[in-house]
Amino acid sequence: MAIHTPTRRDLLRWTGGGALAGLAAPLLGSCAGAPEEDSGSTSGGDDGGGSGGDFTVYWNAGHAYAAYDKVIAEFEEAHGVTVSFQKYQWDDLRTRLLSDFASGTVPDLVEEPGGWVQEFAISGDAVSLQQYVDSDGAEMGFPDDWQPRTISRNSYEGEVYGIQLHLTCMMLLYNRGMFDSAGVQPPTDWGSFLDVAEKLTGDGVHGFAMNQDDGYGWPWLLQNGVRYYDPDTKGLLVPHDAAAAALQFQADMAHKHGVSPVPTPGTDYSGPQKLLSAGRAAMIITGPWDLLPIAETSPDLDLGIAPALHEAEQSTVQAGTSLFVPAKAKSPDLAWDFIKRITALEVEVAATKEAGMLMPRLSWVQDPVVQENERYAAFAEGFAYAVDTSEKLRLTGKSGEINEQLFQTLYQDVVMNNTPATEALDRFLAAGQKVLAS
Amino acid sequence: MRQLTTGPPRRRRLRGPLAVFAPSLNRRYVLTAYAFLIPAFAFFGLMFYLPIANIITNSFNTGPQANQFAGLENYTRAFEDASVQNSFTVTFIFGAATTIGAIVIGLALALLLNQPLRGRVVFRAALLVPYLTSVAIVGLLWRNILDPQLGILNRLLMDLGLPTQSWLNTHPLATIIAVTLWMTVGYTMVLFLAGLQGIPEQYHEAATVDGASPWQRFWRITLPLLAPTTLFVSVMAVISGLQAFGQAYIITGGGPANATDLYIFHVFNVAFTSRDFGYASALSFLLFIVIVIFTVIQLRVGRRNEVQY
Repeated sequence: MAIHTPTRRDLLRWTGGGALAGLAAPLLGSCAGAPEEDSGSTSGGDDGGGSGGDFTVYWNAGHAYAAYDKVIAEFEEAHGVTVSFQKYQWDDLRTRLLSDFASGTVPDLVEEPGGWVQEFAISGDAVSLQQYVDSDGAEMGFPDDWQPRTISRNSYEGEVYGIQLHLTCMMLLYNRGMFDSAGVQPPTDWGSFLDVAEKLTGDGVHGFAMNQDDGYGWPWLLQNGVRYYDPDTKGLLVPHDAAAAALQFQADMAHKHGVSPVPTPGTDYSGPQKLLSAGRAAMIITGPWDLLPIAETSPDLDLGIAPALHEAEQSTVQAGTSLFVPAKAKSPDLAWDFIKRITALEVEVAATKEAGMLMPRLSWVQDPVVQENERYAAFAEGFAYAVDTSEKLRLTGKSGEINEQLFQTLYQDVVMNNTPATEALDRFLAAGQKVLAS
Repeated sequence: MRQLTTGPPRRRRLRGPLAVFAPSLNRRYVLTAYAFLIPAFAFFGLMFYLPIANIITNSFNTGPQANQFAGLENYTRAFEDASVQNSFTVTFIFGAATTIGAIVIGLALALLLNQPLRGRVVFRAALLVPYLTSVAIVGLLWRNILDPQLGILNRLLMDLGLPTQSWLNTHPLATIIAVTLWMTVGYTMVLFLAGLQGIPEQYHEAATVDGASPWQRFWRITLPLLAPTTLFVSVMAVISGLQAFGQAYIITGGGPANATDLYIFHVFNVAFTSRDFGYASALSFLLFIVIVIFTVIQLRVGRRNEVQY
């Protein structure tokens, strides 16, 4: 049999044909629309079951605990799905998620750092979980067993859109050895704080280390009675004079009293923790996320945790992550089942034992693991007066620009550049009101 | 009676609009060329031109999904937005400094390493390594080096009995310019080295015989003959300077108080923090126009100054 040797014309024809096919395939593919759920999809029925396929979860890279691996394995076995557990830093997670929203291909479940639930509920990108709460809430203890303040921060127009996964707050961490050597006690208000910080400053050590992240400046504002947004007057950082005083107090610690180094701008919020671990700072304000790094890098450090300071009031920042289901998620029933499993009390306790993370269940606070641990108990006490700073601002739908950009500029201008707080605050208020009015 | 012919039958000539498909020899070559170009057109079309068209379309919209028509509102807003003006000024200074620095330092290094020095190959390679490293790694590296409390640079200053510095607080823009230059001068040095080695030695010899000093030879021979390289370096440096992102994203977060809020970083925040994709698209398109204008001006001025001996 004769072998046909392709001619140059044949080669050209095939090349052209291949190129046309290559060009046409993605275009035709894009015209085909979103893929339909097939028999192997993870869509849950009434039983919430699936029959194979992927279940995509976006998670914070620092929260992938072994306690959760066990939950994932059980979930996969129960539903016959493969969990694609994708881990990101918060900024990258947001970038990925917004790109997903734009493309229409979204994950099944998302862990968020606080604030996104209401933002995406307003924009229509998160699904209401109210029907699931109505049917399963009593069985899982929601909302009765959750810290009350965690419900409103995950709700919009009376419906629940997110379930709190972790609950944290910022407290005053200090080096007990340095305190004992200086003969001082943990401070209780701003005056005693400054006295103690001055006594502890010297010989390469700062009494306090401020954080470059503006979120860490909020305990001072809250303690001076400041609220981010007043829906009645539509005012930002009210009362203004208290806000200016709180910001100026922080700037003065670095630029006037010299009890804190000037924070360096950046994206890393672990600077103060590193200074405390290295014995270069005696006090920092932070959350439980720094307990593990401190224990790992300075196992001999005798760490104390003091209650939040009391100025106009005793207060601190409430933080913590929540879980929500994107509106276009293909398996909301399965996502709800995942939420139920991963927020079970025994999983919360296991994660606390493993990583020191704090949890939102009221029964978690009563658990012996928490009660018998001085540090967990100290943080848990803070839940009583911790405040979600931007909850009311988020409901305006303008929190992104105001909170992430304008307030950051205000904080850095005052604390890093030593611009008078009243002057910087005036600029913030003018720009903020413009954003609110837009 | 049917006419008998020898050889292959003649093809009937197509008339009217179908005539363009008539496979004349020239047309076959043209079609062949287009066939080979189709993959490139497909790639650029899908990866560049469609996204650009999408950005232009989005720039006239607003809302979280950029699906509400807003006309020219995003563009008028951009010209009134103080934060945009600030980020453009910051970026202009950054772009100018990194361009001038890359040319001056890169050329100086190239002139130095074009000499018969011992170990010059090692120096050339060492200077090129930062350019081969990702901006994320370079950013993290310098963040740690420059840390005022725990950084190695301040430790060195302390050991030398010198006062410690907080560069990212006191001179943030100059610091990220310096880091960028540290990263990029190796590449411009290589380009200038290639340019220097392309200049015939006879020109220098003739000028030396005529009594020209080294300085005169540099100004009258080396620099004019390096004009094409300088033009290329300057165009690329301006474009990358105006599009810089990683330095602000990794090292300073745009701070303190927007002192290093580079334009693309600002656009990124508008898109992914404020979730205003329409406005971010308008800002992106404005930068595209600015870059085109700068590039055209540079090419025109640069080509006018090119010389040949």
